[in-house]
Amino acid sequence: MDAALRLDTVNKRYGDFQAVKDLSFVAETGRICGFLGPNGAGKTSTLRMILGLQPATSGRIEVLGADDGRKVRDRIGFLPEERGLYKKMTPVDAIAFFASLKGVPDGEGRKRAREMLEAQGLGAARHKKMKELSKGMAQKVQLIAAVAHRPDFVILDEPFSGLDPMNQQGLEEMIRGLAERGATVLFSTHVMQHAERLCDKVVLLARGRKAFEGTVAEAKATTRQFLELEGDIAAGAVTALPGVSHVETIHVHGQVKVLRATLASGAAGQEALRAAFVQGLDVRRFELKAPTLHDAFIHLTGDDPDAVAPRAEASA
Amino acid sequence: MNRTFLIARRELMAYVRTVGFWLSLLSLPLFASLGGVIPMLAMNSEPTRSVAVVEVASGAPLKAGVEARLTARDRERQVDVISALVIPEAGIEASRQVQALGEREGPEVALAEARRIAPTAASGYRPPKADLRLAETPEAVLAAAPGEAREAVVRDLLNAEERTLDAVVLLAREADGPAARVWSAKASDDTVQDAVSAALREITRAERYAALGVGVESVREIDAFRPEVALLSPRSESGGEVSFRDRLPALIGFGFGFLLWALVFTGASILLNSVMEEKSNKILEVLLSSASPGEILTGKVLGVALLTLTVMVVWGGLGGAGLVAAAPDVARDIWSILSRDGLILYFLLYIAGGYLMYAVLFAAVGAFCETPRDAQTLMGPIMMLLVVPILAMQFALRTPDALFVKVLSWIPLFTPFLMSARIPSGGVGPVEIAATTAGMFAMAIFMVWIAGRAFRAGALSDVKLSWKTFGMAVRGGR
Repeated sequence: MDAALRLDTVNKRYGDFQAVKDLSFVAETGRICGFLGPNGAGKTSTLRMILGLQPATSGRIEVLGADDGRKVRDRIGFLPEERGLYKKMTPVDAIAFFASLKGVPDGEGRKRAREMLEAQGLGAARHKKMKELSKGMAQKVQLIAAVAHRPDFVILDEPFSGLDPMNQQGLEEMIRGLAERGATVLFSTHVMQHAERLCDKVVLLARGRKAFEGTVAEAKATTRQFLELEGDIAAGAVTALPGVSHVETIHVHGQVKVLRATLASGAAGQEALRAAFVQGLDVRRFELKAPTLHDAFIHLTGDDPDAVAPRAEASA
Repeated sequence: MNRTFLIARRELMAYVRTVGFWLSLLSLPLFASLGGVIPMLAMNSEPTRSVAVVEVASGAPLKAGVEARLTARDRERQVDVISALVIPEAGIEASRQVQALGEREGPEVALAEARRIAPTAASGYRPPKADLRLAETPEAVLAAAPGEAREAVVRDLLNAEERTLDAVVLLAREADGPAARVWSAKASDDTVQDAVSAALREITRAERYAALGVGVESVREIDAFRPEVALLSPRSESGGEVSFRDRLPALIGFGFGFLLWALVFTGASILLNSVMEEKSNKILEVLLSSASPGEILTGKVLGVALLTLTVMVVWGGLGGAGLVAAAPDVARDIWSILSRDGLILYFLLYIAGGYLMYAVLFAAVGAFCETPRDAQTLMGPIMMLLVVPILAMQFALRTPDALFVKVLSWIPLFTPFLMSARIPSGGVGPVEIAATTAGMFAMAIFMVWIAGRAFRAGALSDVKLSWKTFGMAVRGGR
């Protein structure tokens, strides 16, 4: 499959601070690629380098066949992490303006703006000023402004931040729509659930380095299933069950504990459960859990994606 | 359309669509018009106060003298109005002559002269409303005994609901000269007090001169005497006497220099705020993904230039039209000076150079800041720098070839203002003009280069603005 984006041993330094280190990955054309990592992992710096807003200290970046994002900026749509639009503009004016900067004639830009706003349920708000819109509405408008020129490659930096669950769902649908249209989507997030639902592929980043590149299933496969057991059970008894490689106590309520038993690679959870009941362990609740992307991230990087890493200060 | 022009158009329209822009655009011509009309309206809407003058004590009478001078006030106001009326049709010099004639011979003679030299304007003459009118002193006041009893009567008269008097003047001679107690119906109205005070000063002076043997007529002649002191210069247009027209170039230069300063300051400040707003609203990063820093900077500088140019054209057009209507001679003189020796071309060059130097610098500073407070570190010294040409231009008005002014003219950051002020007065050689202008444009190009690098770095930077970070941005570029 063609690559819309290819990074090869890319580094970025701000003075003494190394924000990105030897980063290489590929985003295939027409796919949704999640760029995951905690805050401060180097995601925004990488996205800015891809766009050509900042130069890489070393390494090579190829975007839509060009060696510099600025050469193909008309074919790229970008939604930055910190968002804002001209407060006194109407959504139609704002969308048409940003589309016009990408080469869409004003009339066509306005037509697309009206259609896209209508499709997102914002038809009634199209003549209001941006400052009169709710945060969720404004965020949708900004995403529309980023893609109204029908880009081949869309870069979204933390697109879900600050949105309520309803708007997050709407945004997920918009992103799927972009991919269905044939656009490549690269979005950064530190919330693994979105990536898990949306991405064909994920790139995990920790402390500026790539920790993993592959599909969500491949990422999950790097970590193992586990059993969650609740009852008056001793951790040692659970460790002795067949297939259990490691046990940790999650919660204690008097005599009642919640234990998490990680299963050995290839072990069946049912075997361990059967053995627990045969041994007469006081199991009051049990759940066989598949690992999430969040679990995989912790397993792969040793970091919690919700934690905040020391932030790179963009130097002058 | 080119991205630069799209950004420029948005910048222009963002301001043009606001109510504030139209208020600013119309306020200056409106206030300028009101500035001419309000004094006339105020003069005609002022009430005419009825004043009774009473002689209180014995000694040389004061009443006749005071009444004569209060009546003369009205005639002086008439002369002022007549002399102002002739300016559009006959010019400032003729107006001065009518004023002098009126002061000597009275408003009737001044009006006759006005009808001769400016018949159209004089035909519209209406005498201004008098602010004082002499009234008969009521019998009750005269009948009352001088002192507290009389003042009690006066107090009652002025306090009455249906009073016929607005003020009563009680004149007396004190040991050190004439004095008066002025009773006024309104405590805040000091018009009569001022008029009586002036009248008593004149009477005292006349009496003292008389005591020295100088006659009343002589005193009046001395007072009315206006020496004719002519300023002559071989550089004047006539080769002799210096007229208002000869002074006009220096005034135009000073006016243009000041206008340019205001334009640069206003335009650059708009630009600074605009960039700061985009930085704080996080729009700058989106713009940077769509256009290069150079395109954004150029577009914004161009948009604000179009905005300030729009304001200047509207104000200039309205001002020019007003001048043509009110004083066609002066308008003709100004045009002939502006069209002489390519002066307009110089002015346009200085607008371009001056605006460019400061606008790009302000925009670059704005790219580092989200609030005006962030910008203070750099803006303080820049603002102090901008005060220098304002001070120097005042010297240039009188002595455009002073060494101090000449030296400052060679500093590119001051060149547009000071050369604009100096060139119209003449005496600035073509070499000096060419060299300073070249220096100014070299500096402008350098500033564009500096600002371009700083803007590029500042737009994506989170660091606090300081001279050090600004310097690093300029050195680092991006």
